[in-house]
Order: sequence, then C-alpha cells, then structure tokens
Amino acid sequence: LRKGSSSEWRDAFWNPRTHELLGRTASSWGLILLFYLVFYLFLAGMFVLTMYIMLLTLDDYKPTWQDRLATPGMMIHPKGDQLEITFSVSETESWDRFTQTLNTFLSPYNDSYQVQMNDNCPPDQFFIQEDSGEVRNNPKRSCQFNRSMLEECAGISDRFYGYSRGQPCVLIKLNRVIGMLPGKNGQSPYVTCGAKREDGDKLGPLAYYPPNGTFNLMYYPYYGKKAQVNYTQPLVAVKFLNASVNTDINVECKINSNTLEAGSERDKFAGRVSFKLRINHT
Amino acid sequence: MIYKIQATSQGHFTRVQHYLLYSARQKPHGEFNKARWLYFGCSQLLVHTVRMPDSTYGRSDSYRVATTQDKADRSPKKKKGGTKDMDDLKKEVPITEHKMSIEEVCRKFNTDIVQGLTNAKAAEYLIRDGPNALTPPPTTPEWVKFCRQLFGGFSILLWTGAILCFLAYAIQAATEDEPAGDNLYLGIVLTAVVVITGCFSYFQEAKSSKIMESFKNMVPQQALVIREGEKVTINAEEVVGGDLIEVKGGDRIPADIRVVSAHGCKVDNSSLTGESEPQSRSPDCTHDNPLETRNVAFFSTNCVEGTARGIVICTGDRTVMGRIATLTSGLETGKTPIAKEIEHFIHIITGVAVFLGVTFFILAIILGYSWLEAVIFLIGIIVANVPEGLLATVTVCLTLTAKRMAKKNCLVKNLEAVETLGSTSTICSDKTGTLTQNRMTVAHMWFDNQIHEADTTEDQSGASFDKSSVTWLSLARVAGLCNRAQFKAGQDSLPILKRDVAGDASESALLKCIELSCGSVRAMRDRNKKVAEIPFNSTNKYQLSVHETEDPNDNRYLLVMKGAPERILDRCTTILVQGKEQPMDEELKEAFQNAYMELGGLGERVLGFCHVLLPEDQYPKGFAFDTEDVNFQTDNLCFVGLMSMIDPPRAAVPDAVIMVTGDHPITAKAIAKGVGIISEGNETVEDIAARLNIPVSQVNPRDAKACVVHGTDLKDLSQDQMDDILRNHTEIVFARTSPQQKLIIVEGCQRLGAIVAVTGDGVNDSPALKKADIGVAMGISGSDVSKQAADMILLDDNFASIVTGVEEGRLIFDNLKKSIAYTLTSNIPEITPFLFFIIVNIPLPLGTITILCIDLGTDMVPAISLAYETAESDIMKRQPRNPARDKLVNERLISIAYGQIGMIQALGGFFAYFVILAENGFLPSRLVGIRLNWDDRSTNDLEDSYGQQWTYEQRKIVEFTCHTAFFVSIVVVQWADVIICKTRRNSVFQQGMRNKILIFGLFEETALAAFLSYCPGMDVALRMYPLKPSWWFCAFPYSFLIFVYDEIRKLLLRRNPGGWVERETYY
Repeated sequence: LRKGSSSEWRDAFWNPRTHELLGRTASSWGLILLFYLVFYLFLAGMFVLTMYIMLLTLDDYKPTWQDRLATPGMMIHPKGDQLEITFSVSETESWDRFTQTLNTFLSPYNDSYQVQMNDNCPPDQFFIQEDSGEVRNNPKRSCQFNRSMLEECAGISDRFYGYSRGQPCVLIKLNRVIGMLPGKNGQSPYVTCGAKREDGDKLGPLAYYPPNGTFNLMYYPYYGKKAQVNYTQPLVAVKFLNASVNTDINVECKINSNTLEAGSERDKFAGRVSFKLRINHT
Repeated sequence: MIYKIQATSQGHFTRVQHYLLYSARQKPHGEFNKARWLYFGCSQLLVHTVRMPDSTYGRSDSYRVATTQDKADRSPKKKKGGTKDMDDLKKEVPITEHKMSIEEVCRKFNTDIVQGLTNAKAAEYLIRDGPNALTPPPTTPEWVKFCRQLFGGFSILLWTGAILCFLAYAIQAATEDEPAGDNLYLGIVLTAVVVITGCFSYFQEAKSSKIMESFKNMVPQQALVIREGEKVTINAEEVVGGDLIEVKGGDRIPADIRVVSAHGCKVDNSSLTGESEPQSRSPDCTHDNPLETRNVAFFSTNCVEGTARGIVICTGDRTVMGRIATLTSGLETGKTPIAKEIEHFIHIITGVAVFLGVTFFILAIILGYSWLEAVIFLIGIIVANVPEGLLATVTVCLTLTAKRMAKKNCLVKNLEAVETLGSTSTICSDKTGTLTQNRMTVAHMWFDNQIHEADTTEDQSGASFDKSSVTWLSLARVAGLCNRAQFKAGQDSLPILKRDVAGDASESALLKCIELSCGSVRAMRDRNKKVAEIPFNSTNKYQLSVHETEDPNDNRYLLVMKGAPERILDRCTTILVQGKEQPMDEELKEAFQNAYMELGGLGERVLGFCHVLLPEDQYPKGFAFDTEDVNFQTDNLCFVGLMSMIDPPRAAVPDAVIMVTGDHPITAKAIAKGVGIISEGNETVEDIAARLNIPVSQVNPRDAKACVVHGTDLKDLSQDQMDDILRNHTEIVFARTSPQQKLIIVEGCQRLGAIVAVTGDGVNDSPALKKADIGVAMGISGSDVSKQAADMILLDDNFASIVTGVEEGRLIFDNLKKSIAYTLTSNIPEITPFLFFIIVNIPLPLGTITILCIDLGTDMVPAISLAYETAESDIMKRQPRNPARDKLVNERLISIAYGQIGMIQALGGFFAYFVILAENGFLPSRLVGIRLNWDDRSTNDLEDSYGQQWTYEQRKIVEFTCHTAFFVSIVVVQWADVIICKTRRNSVFQQGMRNKILIFGLFEETALAAFLSYCPGMDVALRMYPLKPSWWFCAFPYSFLIFVYDEIRKLLLRRNPGGWVERETYY
C-alpha cells in the first residue's frame, strides 16, 4: 500500500504517461501561465495609469494635505542613542562621536558658506516670496543662519562643544513644514528647556544661543525643497552649564509661540522634544 | 429501496406501464392482477404510514408469498475492524428456543407452563439478568460535546493560527524591548472567535437534542405475567426470562417470547423485519430462522389482534431488538461530506499559506533580515492566510439552513448533516413515497366506452367530455358516495386542490376530482344518506356502501361499489352506456379489458365503479343491512366506469434504483416493478432466463440491468461480488434483509464512493441509519432507537421533506462555495501589504486591526447573505455531486479568488494607500526603503518628498489613515465581489438583485466602514482615522473592473460550455 501511495505522489508531481507536471500538461501550463502573464500585465498597466493620473493631480511645490503637521515636531542634535545623551567627561571616546556628528551637521552652517549662498535678511519679520499667479518666483532665496550665531556652541571657540568640560551643547531644531508661520507681531518663537518631574534641581542653569533661544521669523515660511533649495534650518543651542553628574536627567524642551497650537498629548515630539542626559564624572 | 438520485426522468413511469402492459399480455390474468393490487396495496401502505402513523393494522391488502428459507442467516463473512463484541452483534440472532419443545423451554427456565415462575425465582432472575429494559446508548458527556465543537474541523486551523500568533509574540517579547502587540491581539481574537463560534454551534445542537428528548416515551409499560398461578400486572422492566406472559391485541410485547398458545394472534413485526403485514403467531415452529418462525414474538413489537401466551426467553439487551439497538450505538460513523470538504479546504489553505510563508521566509533571509525576524514574518504570513471570519460564516450559513429546514418539519440533529442530503447519490429506503409526490390525482376515466382525460384544473377549463352525460353523473355519484375521504374543516377559502383531506390517497384524489367537477360532495352525501358500509379489505378487494336515493319518493336503496376493476366486473352483469343499462356482452368486456390495459399501461392505478338500485320488494325501507354477515345482493350489479389515478413522480427522483426491504423477494420485485424501481426495459437474470427459456446459470449477469438479491444470499457474497452487484446493476432489489444486512448494503455503497442516505422508521433500520452518511428517521411513526440513530428527523413523517432536504442541501453547498469565494478573495488584499512591507520596505499599508475589521466585521453580513441566494438553475435537475471531483473549494476557486479578483482588490487598496501618502507628501519613490526610519520611534524629523519633516506620531497617523483607507477600499471592492459571487455561471443581470439580505449587507458593511472611520474615539480605540471624502473613491475603478471582468468571464463561460474558461475558472 505504501508503495502505491508513494508512486501516486510521484505521479502527482510528474506523470510520465500523460506527461503531466503537477497535474497539467506542458500546453496546459503554457496557457494558464500565458493567461496570468497577460492578466497581470494588464493589471499593472491599469495600476500605472491610475497612479499616473493621481500624480498629475499633485502640486510639485506643496503637498495636498498638511493637516497632520499643524504642530511642527522638534528634534535634538546630536540624537544620541534613542535620544539618550550619555557620556563620561574623562573618557574622550564616549563623547567623541557627539562632537563629530555636530561638526558634520554644522558644516553647512559655516559663515563663509552661508554668506556665499544665502541672503542677509531683515530680522523679526517673515521672508515672504510670493509667486505671482502662474509665474513661479523660483528659485526662492534663503536667509543666512551663521554657525557663529551659536556662540559657545558653535564649535569654533570650543571645538568639543563643552563635552570635554561636562557642559554639553545640544542643538534643537524645529521641523520644516511648508508655509508654516510660527509667530506673529514680530515675536519669534523661542525654546525653553526644563527638567521633567523630580529631576528639577539636577538640571542647573542653561544657556541658549542665539540669545533667548529664538527661531527668528526671517527663516519662515519654508517653501519646500524644490523651490527653496538652499534653505537653512534655524537652530537653537542649549548649553547645560552645571548639570548634576552621574545621574539621569530627563530634559524637555518646548517651543513657545503665539501661533502654533500645542501638540496632542499622544505626540511627544510635536512642539516639544524630550531626551535623557547623563554626564558621568569620576 | 435505494434510489440513485439522478436527473429527473419523467420517462420511467411510462416505462412501468409498458412493463405492465407487457406482463399483462405475457402472463396469465391472475399474475397481472396481483401486480396491480400490489401497486395499490403498496401505496395504501404508504398512506397509512403517513396519515395514521401508529396504526399498523391497515396494511392488510398486499400480496404475500411465502418463501421457504432453508438456511438460517449466519454472520456475514468478513467484517473489518470492530471489537469482538461488535462482530458478535453483527451476527444473526442466536435464539434456539423456537426449535425446542415447550417442555424443554420450561425446563430451561425452571418455569411452569400453567403456574409460571415463582416469585422467588423471578426475583432471583431479575437480580441475575437485570431489568428488562434497553440500556440507553452511552450519552456523550456535555463537555465532550462542547470540546468537539471547540476543536473540530475548521477550528483546528484557527487554533493553529492562534498558537502561532502567541509563539510569534513570545519570540518578539524575548528579543525586543517594546514588542508590537499585534500578534498578541490577533492570537486573542482568533481564540475568541473559535470559542464563540464553538459555543454558538454547541447551543444550536443542544437545542436540537432538546427536541429529541421530548420524543422519549415517558409512559412506563405494563406487562401481564402469570406468577405462582396468578395473573399480575407488573412493570415491563420487571419481566424476567421464564416468565409466563399473556398478550392481547393492542399490547406491546414486553420481551422476546416463545409462544405456547395463541388464539388468532397476529403481531406486527414491521419495526423489526420491515414486513408490512401483521403475521400470525402459533405455538408451532415453522421455520429454522427465529425471525421467520411463528412461535416467537419479539420485544417491542405490537400484538395486533388475538391473544397469546408465551414464555419469556430473552429480556433487555439480549432481545433481538436489544441487540440491534446495541449494535447501532456501537457503530462508528464516518465524517459528514461537508466535514470532508472542509478538511480538503483546510489542506488547500494550509498549502497556500505554507507555500507563501516559506517563499517569503527565504526571500527575507536573502534580503538580509535576521533569522528571528524572518521567522516572525513566516508566522505572520501563515496566520494572515487564515480566514478568521469563515468559521463563523460557515456555521451561521448551516444554522440558517437548518432553521429553514426545521420550519419545513425537517429537524437536523447535527449541523453538518444539513448539506449531506444534497450530496447524496444513493437513498436507501423501503418507502415508495420517496419516489412520488404523494399527491394522487385522477388522470383518466373510462365510461361510455371511451377514455376521457380528467380535468384537474381549478376552473374546469379543460373539460374534455360532456358533463351532462348520465353515465358520468352516475360515475361521479358512485365515486363521491363510495368514498370515506372528506375535507378537513375550515378550508373553504382554499382552492380545492390545495385542501387537506382526511382519508387515503386514492379516495382523496377521487374526492377532489368530484368536488371539482360536480360541486360539493358533502351535499351529495347529505342527499344520499349512508345506511351501510363495508370498508375496503384485502379479501374482498372492494368497498361498498348503501345509500338512500336522492328522490324522496323513491324508497329504493342505492348500492355503490368500487374496487379492483376485474373484481368489480366479475360482479356485474350489466353496464351503463350512454345512460342506458345494457347487458354485459363479450364485446363490452373486451372493450373494458382494452381500456383497463391502456390505463394500466399508463402506469395509473385503476379503480372500477358499479352501482345498483336494490329492488324495493326485497329491501324495503328500513331494511337492516348487516355488513358483517352480508345479507344483501353484492352481485348482478351495473358497471359504470373506470377511473385511474396517478401519483406524479417527483422531480429529482431516482431513475436507477435499488430496493432494500424486509419483504419477500417476489413481493419486493413486484412492488419495485409497480412503482418503477425496476423499469420496463430492464430485466433481472431470472427474467432473461425465462424469456430465452434457458437456465439461470447460462445468462450473462452483465446483460441484466436489474437484479433481485435475497437478503440471505448476502452472506454468501464476498465483498467483491457485492461491489460487483452494486456497480453493474442500476436497479437492484434487496429483499428480506435483516438489520445486519442493511448495514452491509450501506457499507457496500459507501465503499463504492456513494454518499448514502437511509430513511427508516423501524428499529431494524437503525444500524443502517447510523452507518449511513445521513440517516433520516420518522418523527411520528419512528421508533426511539431509529430517531437516536438518525441525523435528521422528519417531524411530520412527510417524505416530501426529504426532497426539501436534498434541495436545501444542494443550495447550501453552492452558496457555501460562493460565500467562501467571497471571503477568501479579501485574503489577498490582506496579505499583500505585509509582503510588500517586507520586500520593498514601505510603511505597512494594512494593519492587523483593520484586517480583523474586514474579516470579522464588514465581510460577515455579505458572506452570510450569500446563503440566502437563490439557485441559479434547477438544482434538482442536476446530477448529484461526485465527492471525488466536485469539491467545495477547488484550485479553480483559489485561482479566481486569489489569483484574479483578489489581485485586483489588492491593487485597489494599494492605490488608495499611495494616494493618501502622496497627498500628504510622501511620493511612492520616497517610500521604497523607508521602513526602518519610518518605524523608528526616535526619528522625529523624517523628511518627505517636499522637504517637510515628520515626527513619529505624525507619520503614524498618516499610516493608520492609510490602513483605514485600505480597509475602506477593500469594502468598496468587496461590493463588486459580493455581486459577482452571487452567481457562478449566470450573469448578475439574469440572477437579479432580489436577495434583500445581500442588499442589506452592502449597506451594512458600508455603514460599518464609515462608522469605524468617522466615529470619534476610533483613533484611540482602533487607530482608525477619518478619511477625506475623495479617498473613498480611490478603489471605485477597481471595483468596477472586478464587476466587468467577471461578467465577461461568465459570458465566455456560458458561450463555450466545457471550454478553456470553464475548465480553468468555473468553481
């Protein structure tokens, strides 16, 4: 019986009498595969067509919907590992990677480069460059954000951004959103940082660069990467002047603006950013 | 009889008549008459069974042939499997007491022929043998039943899925810090679905079994025993072996007894042997076989008339009845066809799932995923293939059908048995009623030397003869008066043909015919008061009644008579022609014979009618007619005419037939020929031998399409010979079969791959009922044992319900196919997102929660609504499905659902996904390869195609909006899918949209989708987000494409029957 069933299996795979592979002859396989080939080609064609029509309806410079970006996100630099900045002051290699990423990150902000590429705009007002009807006013100009504006955290006077002295700098940026106007009446939004929960007394004094930790209004609105190729995202640097050592400090920085809505409770990074700082010092 | 259900052949009835005509010419008169009477008797039997279920008395008119059987039945030769006990039970009865003398029996039981047992002895025996009652079949504990529902068939698939989910979650929990809860939720939901569906079907079946319990006879039986010389009435349970017992007409025999004396005692053995006739009992041993001999009466059979005294030889489970009951409860039953189909379906689904899973596992490894990730993917893909909602859908569909059948008095004990009747290829029954519509109507009449067609139209528009003819009026008067049938009260508003009649089938037919053509029969009967009546019986084969005449001045009495035409003719000396009484001469007799034969040749049951006005001088007013000792003239009558009736054959009733009956072979064969089970063109080996005048042994058995097998011959047949008989003969009669042999026949048919239904009411049928794929028992006339053994019970004993069952079964099979095709289709748009997520590294287009919302939410009602779909064509004209070829789910269904429609659906969903992401700033080109960053919680400045930056939560909201849109798109494409799944061959335009539940389902799923998308709080509860109105329309072109594509496919399918499209896509 076992013999019979095994030959049955073999027959089901390849039947030498009828020349059937898996129950189909070559021509039968050919026909069905041809059918599926044609059918799927047709489907692919139809899909490409509908996608093409859909893409035609899109604007090249501005996405159709931005309602999910009402409150812009915030992010820190260096990002650390999962937003944890942990280092030992005495161990160079523990903060070396932070300073290196900061160097790389800040290289487009070099004053020489900025002066060459971007405009020196009038501060505290939006840098609006309207299109006139169908005629695009492109490429749009961008305002200079010079590295030197970060002063102590620019990595110029202290090329270790304070990490070597237990006074680390953390850069804070506001996510780019096309057309966003983050303030009014000439008041620029500014960043404030604080410690969360019981870590309040561990934080110590902070220093903000540029002064008051403002994102100047002249950097807004953003016109998108196609129209405003050289856009330079403004930064705020926070320097922890005397943070407690050998302890975890949960820091939250948030944007203060008179136009931006507060983000939803669920989104921990809309209009604010949280990270953990730990400075080890022996 | 075993009916092989095939396409309707209206032809076979005519063939019967040809046979009758033929036999009438070939054989001496008497034979022919017997055959006619057999037919008559047989149908009468039926009527009694249906109308008076408890009566077993009226079956007295069929023709009986005593056969001699030399050998006692012995065990069938081989039986595979089973314990020794079961083999022993399958052997024939070991009773020997019938061959002993009375003294020997007395000695054996230490009893006395006059005094009976002593009380002390009786008590001793009672302790030794236990009470005289059947051990109830071991009842399955409730929790076992519940577990069966929980772990049977389809549930296994879901359980496997759930376990895999938990496994995947465990792996994730062990390796990741924050494992995604999806697998855990999915596992929990799968478990919940199985448990809830299990509970549902458990309670559904519990409800049926509750109805079963109500059948149980609560009245304790009494028995009259003689102990220590005194007659005492005791509980039947206390009867012991050796007790001297007295039974009289109407009693149920309390144990197997050896008759020691009898006075006109007749017992009805029908529930044991299937013999329709009461059999007389006497003290003499007349046969070696205890079942045949006259001096044994059996437990639970009825004593019909007379009295008898006997010694109890067996009690309780040791009785013949008890052995059958024990055999029945010990039988293993196979899986129902639908269970097999679901198993096959699970194989296919598992095959596809494992194939997909392994393919993408390998792909994932090649793409550089870690082993653990790849294993999670593998499990995810396998689980994604599990159609979560299908178990519930199938259960609900079956329940709906079961309910629908229960409304038609067809109680289904086991949900899965609902479909079985539809797949049935062979019905075993000893009831001819299964064959015909059981709706006897008058078809022809012969009077004035002419055959007239009866007008059975309600408005009498089809009259074909002169209604004012005196002969016709006389004939109508005889038919109306000599007739005990009457309309049941309160039906005056109904059309005559639809009214219920109390009375037997042929009398009802006459009543309706006369009522239709001559007006109220009741008024006629009121005008002609009945003074005397002799009801029909088998010795006279006529029925007569004496009435006053309508004319108050005429004091003569009118005697009317109807019966077998030749018997009636024998009593007539004159005949009414054109209203004139003429002497019956040879010429008129010849005319009568021709008419009789012609009508008989049409396969109709012919009755003769005659009357006479009794002379006033002999029978003055007030004459005391004595019907017992007939004191009046019953011959020299005046022949009026013939009327013939037909019970139209049912649609979808068998063409090739085998018959299983307890009757004697000759009776059985005659009945079989009478009702068309053996049709005219087909001869048995014996017939051929007789025709060619050669010995039986020289006839090639292959030449004979028909075959009559004696039950006792079965034991001499090897399995191969048995198969040979079943395979090579289309029309087989098994006669004189014992319960054990019926079982062998059922097993034989099943061995040949047939799906066998057995109908029966007797205890003798119960082993076969149990073994059959579906046993159908009678609710009123059936014995408890048979009802226990059966899967389905006809609550009103109406055979028409079986046809309902076949129809409903076939319909639900078709509709389940559609339902499954519909449900499976959405599997592809559910799996492909995950595959692309793995392969192309795009954000996940459809999440677990939304998949569950489809499978357990929006897909449910439309899938169930397909169970309400009406048949596409006349399903009763179809051949029964071949279980080897005609699968519930086949590769063509998978090809259509997965390969074609499912793919279009997936494209619809993906299109919506890309639209939403693109409109939010992520163009398709940006998406490819974005997955790792996209799903990184700490990346909160992910750049889109426009240079904007997104936090994790912001882009996840867009992703979940995509899930919602993908979900809504599936709902949109499923609109088209449910519409195309309504039909498998016809166009939707032919089928129409009359299925209200389906239309409701369309609105319901849309409303549910809108609710899930827009209801506040859904973003937190299910992570589903409101869609912009335009996003609802993304899948519309694809929905339309599905509809057009499938209509074209079905058009090609109809245009080229048997063509490539049908071979590759007709599921």
